[in-house]
Amino acid sequence: MDFEWSDQQLAFRDSVVDFARRSLAEDIQDREKEGTFSRTLWQRCADFGIQGLPLPEEFGGQDADVLTTMLAMEALGYVCRDQGLLFSMHAHMWAVELPILAYGTDDQKQRYLPGLCSGELIGAHGMSEPDSGSDAFHLATRAERREDVFVLNGTKTFVTNAPIADLFVLFATVNPDQGMWGVTAFLAERGTPGLSVGRPIEKMGLTTSPMAEVILEDCEIPVGNMLGREGQGAPVFNHSMGWERSCILASMVGGMQWQLETSIAYARERRQFGKRIGDFQLVASKIVDMKVRLETSRLILYRAAAAQATGKDSTLDAAMAKLYIGEASVQSALDAIQIHGGYGYTREYGVEQTLRDAVGGRIYSGTSEIQRVIIARYLGLSPLK
Amino acid sequence: MEASVRTVKEYILEQFLPGESPDNLTGTTPLFTSGLLDSIASLQLVTFLEQEFGIKVAAHEVVPDNLNTLESIAGFIRAKRS
Repeated sequence: MDFEWSDQQLAFRDSVVDFARRSLAEDIQDREKEGTFSRTLWQRCADFGIQGLPLPEEFGGQDADVLTTMLAMEALGYVCRDQGLLFSMHAHMWAVELPILAYGTDDQKQRYLPGLCSGELIGAHGMSEPDSGSDAFHLATRAERREDVFVLNGTKTFVTNAPIADLFVLFATVNPDQGMWGVTAFLAERGTPGLSVGRPIEKMGLTTSPMAEVILEDCEIPVGNMLGREGQGAPVFNHSMGWERSCILASMVGGMQWQLETSIAYARERRQFGKRIGDFQLVASKIVDMKVRLETSRLILYRAAAAQATGKDSTLDAAMAKLYIGEASVQSALDAIQIHGGYGYTREYGVEQTLRDAVGGRIYSGTSEIQRVIIARYLGLSPLK
Repeated sequence: MEASVRTVKEYILEQFLPGESPDNLTGTTPLFTSGLLDSIASLQLVTFLEQEFGIKVAAHEVVPDNLNTLESIAGFIRAKRS
């Protein structure tokens, strides 16, 4: 088993790190405090090719393999302190670009993928509702077919990118009696009559990634904007979740590298009781744990991404990656704060932000609890009856 | 009962419904629209069908017409293999 990256991949990673240092490594404290998304940084990433990494060249993409894409996202997370920007990018790629690529008609691909690639269009994915989160398919948003349109009514919540999105992937049921097989996916453009975006939702972390409700009131979506087939919304959603769970925490892994290096540097410099705090076993032990968590997170991330790329069912690998990295990034953030002591608790050092950003990883794209349920099912436990 | 139906039925009972009477799972029992199986089960079932019967299930083929009953699954397998 060869765990080495190719020279080409390493050179690409270095170019991403260089790009991020030149173009993304700004002080974001004020923007993070205000929760301001940066369209400028978004466009810089698009111009470099980030948003197009997983897409074919015919749509303006880089046609990069998934491991190389993950390597790039990890590198961005290592250098760029704006994890909110990166999170918005992840949501855009895995839950909008890829489902259109997999389930879209040729017309839909031509209409939307080039703009999603180039930075011109920002995508958002709306599944959760006020009364359906983990129980995703128990949604209430209805889609009623009327001749050549579907009329949607309902409310989506926790929609990442909603305040700035140009294109929405939305899920509604055409027949609640059919359960998951009544759920259908739709592509809705901003400005469609009947589609409105609520006030921004303030979050604990990832503050520069905008989020809001999407309200649908007799919103007419052309039949030609159905994504996949009627009643195929569940497979479309599962497809997005598979990619999200496998890949969305790649930038967090990069952030864990930053936490580790920052903590080591601090532990080597800070002195108490006449010696470096890193020389005390209780401090060194935390850093050791951070290192082990980082390397384990890398292994499980890339294994899940590789499994996802085979096209076979990689639900188990994705769930394990999401669960492990989601929990590990929180623990490493806690350790980083602890190592920095009082300074770690202040905004100035940027360490406390990593904890606020990491906590969401235990919740979005399926909570840690849901990942455990999925894993148990694949182990033959937790039967349905 | 067709051999493929028997095979799929045994898989579903063992994997998802242990202890359930086989008589309660007929050729026309709605598997997904009744809520008997959920979306995770659909992923596992597709993987099983691909591995057991040597077929490839495309994204657009994961629909109730192909997967909602044992009979429809058998018909889907027949069509894929022909």
